Amino acid sequence: MNLPEQQFRRDAAVKAGDLNHRATIQRNIGLYHAAVARGKTRFADWNEGRARLAQVKWDAINHLDRYLEQFARNVLANGGHVHWAETGDQAAQIILGLARRRGVRKIVKAKSMTTEEIHLVPALAAAGIQAVETDLGEYICQLRGEPPYHIVTPVMHLSRQDVSRTFQEKLGAPPTDSAEELTMIARRQLRQDFLTADMGVTGANFAVAETGQIALTENEGNIRLTFSLPRIHVAVVGIEKLVPRVADLALFWPMLAHSGTGQAITGTCSLVGGPRRDGEPDGPEEFHVVLLDNGRTRLLADVAQRDALHCIRCGACLNACPVYRTIGGHAYHTTYMGPIGCVITPHLRGRDDWAHLPYASSLCGACAEVCPVNIPVHRHLLQNRRNTAGGWQRLAFKFWAWTVQDPLRYRWAGKFLRCAGPFAKLWTDTREWPAAPAQSFRDWWQKQNPHPNPLPYTARERGLKKISSPPSLGGEDQGEGESRSS
Amino acid sequence: MNAARENILARVRAALRVTAPPPAAPTGQPVFPPVADPVARFTQELTAVKGELVASLPEFLNSFRLIASSVDLVPGNASVREAELGVTGCECLIAQTGSVVVSTRTSGGRAMAVWPPAHLVIARREQVVPDLAAALALLQHRYAGHWPSQLSWVTGPSRTSDIEKTLVLGAHGPKRLAVYFDA
Repeated sequence: MNLPEQQFRRDAAVKAGDLNHRATIQRNIGLYHAAVARGKTRFADWNEGRARLAQVKWDAINHLDRYLEQFARNVLANGGHVHWAETGDQAAQIILGLARRRGVRKIVKAKSMTTEEIHLVPALAAAGIQAVETDLGEYICQLRGEPPYHIVTPVMHLSRQDVSRTFQEKLGAPPTDSAEELTMIARRQLRQDFLTADMGVTGANFAVAETGQIALTENEGNIRLTFSLPRIHVAVVGIEKLVPRVADLALFWPMLAHSGTGQAITGTCSLVGGPRRDGEPDGPEEFHVVLLDNGRTRLLADVAQRDALHCIRCGACLNACPVYRTIGGHAYHTTYMGPIGCVITPHLRGRDDWAHLPYASSLCGACAEVCPVNIPVHRHLLQNRRNTAGGWQRLAFKFWAWTVQDPLRYRWAGKFLRCAGPFAKLWTDTREWPAAPAQSFRDWWQKQNPHPNPLPYTARERGLKKISSPPSLGGEDQGEGESRSS
Repeated sequence: MNAARENILARVRAALRVTAPPPAAPTGQPVFPPVADPVARFTQELTAVKGELVASLPEFLNSFRLIASSVDLVPGNASVREAELGVTGCECLIAQTGSVVVSTRTSGGRAMAVWPPAHLVIARREQVVPDLAAALALLQHRYAGHWPSQLSWVTGPSRTSDIEKTLVLGAHGPKRLAVYFDA
């Protein structure tokens, strides 16, 4: 078992048994679901919205070369700079190099999963450049030395008391039980940082090809301060963030807000297209966009799973997932956690180390049901399992198929399973072996109807089997498993 | 970094030699119910997100000593950094969501609408548009090719629910957002 899998199994087991953790998560996710249910009444046709977003993202992703070039051209025309990074390390080096050349000593950072992905803050710290997280949740994470727990609400797992303890230890703040007072402590601290920082680093929720603008979504106002006050603004943008037209945001913004938090629209949605222009009284002198690949083109090359790049990082599938709600966001040890994280991480970071992730799912499909861009997340999880299925797994499933396609073999398998409990140690370590009734349905039926057919039923069914086609394993999964090449 | 650009674009083009099957086409049905009375709806939505509608301007301004302003109606007496209130104009207002659209052109740059602890928007009722689509169409028409360097769709005061999902106003930006209709 490789290291990521060992960590995952260990931490998932610990969290699953932590009742305090469970109570906090259930409460927070319960509030989220109540807000989403209330927000649903704002839509005349939610499913039509999903279909439209899916279509726009399909267009953007399947013509990505065109839109990337158009976007880059327009950023340049707006007076900005475009950098291309093939790997996370390259992206971090680009920003580090820029910071060095411009004599940057302090950076304020907006919340951005992409900057988590490229490990920007540690890279800057190693070079002696202080990078301060300014999103309240991320700020708390940074003080605690923890990664974010959730892609939308980074400290969903902490109580007010936990946060107060952190502020007491790290900032010398007085203890308080009030979320408002805690927020004001962070506000006062961070306002100093905004005024003294030389560079602001943000991500982007969308990149608009038509205008060369990036769209940023937030509630707190820290992103606006990050791109307003420092003299340099750098945005790290995954290449899948492209949307063709600015008009597309009229639907992306409310759908993202609804799925992310249940809001009609997030507190502030901003469009940034370049540095301060002539005649504008303030704003940064320089605007840089770092376009990041870091494995995204690998996913793009996989036609069957390409639509996983449609994801707008709303976090709805995390909140819907029974596994996420049990083991929490840290056990995954990935930048992107929950169902969508289990879909994309093996593609972005390598199948061998992350093959266990798609098994962190019951395949119930709750993730796909809530997805605002209609990604069939659970089907991708199944596909990911297929991508890495080893020889013994394939053999086992062939044996299973062989067994259930024949009534006699099926009967004998049933008889065997009735007494197989004690042998299934691996399974029963964490689960109960289901108690089997004393007799099978078939046996019971036969006793009720001693002579229903002129023929013995096994012989009759064996005859039937010859003229019927073998059962498939569910419509969408047919026949891809063996023949797929990647 | 030109090599990185060429490599990424080459990989994208190679990947896209096969197009993924398109998703089911939308039906064309409206996603949102129509907005009947934009000004009334705007007022309702603004109040719902804890924004304020100012009835009497002198009364509202009375409670602020240091004011930074980018509109003629309210003279400013302070710099943005020291102001208790930032007074700005706006591009338009959106009935569907109760949002105010500010930009570097209408709102005294970037900081005036976000740094001071309170933000007052001076607007005209005819600036209210029904929905987000109408606002983006209006701006696209107004600025095609020459957008201000930054615009923000501001919906209520700055807020956070990061700690136990408890709503707190004034996380980093304004604790109060007020709108005054001048006409």
